[in-house]
Amino acid sequence: MTSKERVLAAIGHRPPDRVPIDFGSTAVSGIHVSCVAALRDYYGLERRPVKVHEPGQMLGLVEEDLKQAMGIDVDGVFRRKTKFGFPAEDWKLWRTHQRLEVLVPGGFNTTTDAGGDTLIYPEGDLSAPPSGRMPRNGYFFDAIIRQDPIVEENLNPEDNLEEFQPIGAGEIVSWKADVETVAGGSRAVVASLGGTSFGDIGLVPGPFLKHPKGIRDVAEWYMSTSSRRDYIHAVFSRQCEIALGNLARIHAAIGSLIDIVYVCGTDFGTQSGTFCSVQTFRDLWFPYYRQVNQWIHANTSWKTLKHSCGSVDRFVPSFIEAGFDILNPVQCSAANMGAAHLKADYGDRIAFWGGGIDTQKVLPFGTPGEVREQVLERCRIFSRGGGFVFNSIHNVQAQTPVENIVALIDAVHEFNGAVAHA
Amino acid sequence: MPDPSRLYEAILNGDHKTSVAVTREAIDAKIDAMELVSRHMVPAMDEVGRRFECEDYFVPELLLSARAMKAALELLRPLLAAEGAKSAGRVVIGTVQGDLHDIGKNIVAAMLEGGGFEVFDLGANVAPQMFVDTIRERHPQLVCLSALLTVTMGSMRTTIEALKQAGVRDSVKVLVGGAPVTPEFARQIGADGFGESATAAVTLARQMVQA
Repeated sequence: MTSKERVLAAIGHRPPDRVPIDFGSTAVSGIHVSCVAALRDYYGLERRPVKVHEPGQMLGLVEEDLKQAMGIDVDGVFRRKTKFGFPAEDWKLWRTHQRLEVLVPGGFNTTTDAGGDTLIYPEGDLSAPPSGRMPRNGYFFDAIIRQDPIVEENLNPEDNLEEFQPIGAGEIVSWKADVETVAGGSRAVVASLGGTSFGDIGLVPGPFLKHPKGIRDVAEWYMSTSSRRDYIHAVFSRQCEIALGNLARIHAAIGSLIDIVYVCGTDFGTQSGTFCSVQTFRDLWFPYYRQVNQWIHANTSWKTLKHSCGSVDRFVPSFIEAGFDILNPVQCSAANMGAAHLKADYGDRIAFWGGGIDTQKVLPFGTPGEVREQVLERCRIFSRGGGFVFNSIHNVQAQTPVENIVALIDAVHEFNGAVAHA
Repeated sequence: MPDPSRLYEAILNGDHKTSVAVTREAIDAKIDAMELVSRHMVPAMDEVGRRFECEDYFVPELLLSARAMKAALELLRPLLAAEGAKSAGRVVIGTVQGDLHDIGKNIVAAMLEGGGFEVFDLGANVAPQMFVDTIRERHPQLVCLSALLTVTMGSMRTTIEALKQAGVRDSVKVLVGGAPVTPEFARQIGADGFGESATAAVTLARQMVQA
């Protein structure tokens, strides 16, 4: 099987020849830039600064040579503009707080505040208020909340729709070019098309906007999902309408050159519970997810991926009913998210893209032996009958020992019966 | 005569406008501030916690109730101070250095305040020295440390070490919490307790100040 055939078999719930692997195809299945650099060193690849293709979480680009070394089966294509609104192009050198030289986009313009924190600016515009902060000695940026005082009578859903607009011809051309660079290869292609993430709390503050309006404070947004449902419905409804139009335009340009769409990263789970009830989910999110999935399935060959951290066991039936094909990151470390239970109860109806290794404890703090043991166990459970693409539970975090990441990769290859990296 | 029991309902319903209005009416009617807290606000937040535990309420409802409670408490604070009201205990709370996430910490702080504690919230990304200085200044019984990130859990250990080096560790109980934190980790770093949720933190805090 080619990598693409392997991935398509797995997400089609047919046994592939071996468990396919993803690292780096999305902003939720990636690797921190420092770990990408360490992996390149470990595998003896050309020493060069790694590109930070997602500056919010400081994810490193997993390039072709590293993909080959790790045996990765997936290519990712991303929106031209990053989380902070500048395009991922015109690369320049930047030194992290840990003194690692990396490449960042030309618009990655920063200042340092009195406490030593690094501030980053929307669209790279230093005259705008900063929209992200990396604490001194930190590893990635969090959005800075820029919330005007809310006057209830003046709230207008249009203010929360500034970032959701019909895409222009230029962006279509850009998508086509990006997709065509990878579509000729043998790997499956995951596209993060954007615009279909409903209320993703990482995006609600509008870190890409110079002067965000509407409800942008994280706590205020969460409260609004309970106290201002009509407003949220108005935002989601219009967003969905725009997204369906954009999907049609993108599909007209790229057709079946992509295989999987990363639809939405809104988290519904916490470590021990959920952010809302299943009923609230079905009232507020389900109708829009269903529209997006229905359009994609009716008009394209694409499969759809839903990301949600945390304990979402009770939401999985609704994710399936809404039409999602794939769940990520499958946080087995959260309550009621045991691998065997998930596989037995939902494994024939939704594919698991993740769950391969715990990134809160085992991968960063365990021994290579413990990593191997958990990877082998998860592969045994999740791969039965297909329905599994190996990925860690969310991105590999900074400070994760490279020996553990290599132990993880080796263990998947061991499970697959391949000769582990020598 | 205002009906202060409406404060209970307003907090439970997350209605901060009514919460403020009822509190103002009660203040105008010279109703005892401590009585408002102990008979209406604390029971309301206890009920909010109970509903959260049994999943009638979720994070949005918790935040709405906390805001309604805090709005009332802001109005009552000067009166409580003037009355010399005794709190359930004094707490210093913050998200540890390197970590900017504060929603969980804010909910715990609000639940503690709603539980009758006097809370000094140092915010997020709090340096160990700031905890040390505040302990010396405020003399709390409890210090609560929060972290959301795997990469910042280590700052909890650093903070506890700083308390030891400054000679203030034994004057306080240290509680830790946050998504990646476990009871084992709490023990490893020498914390006195671990709260899995905001309500668990309040229960633990009450036990510790009574111990």
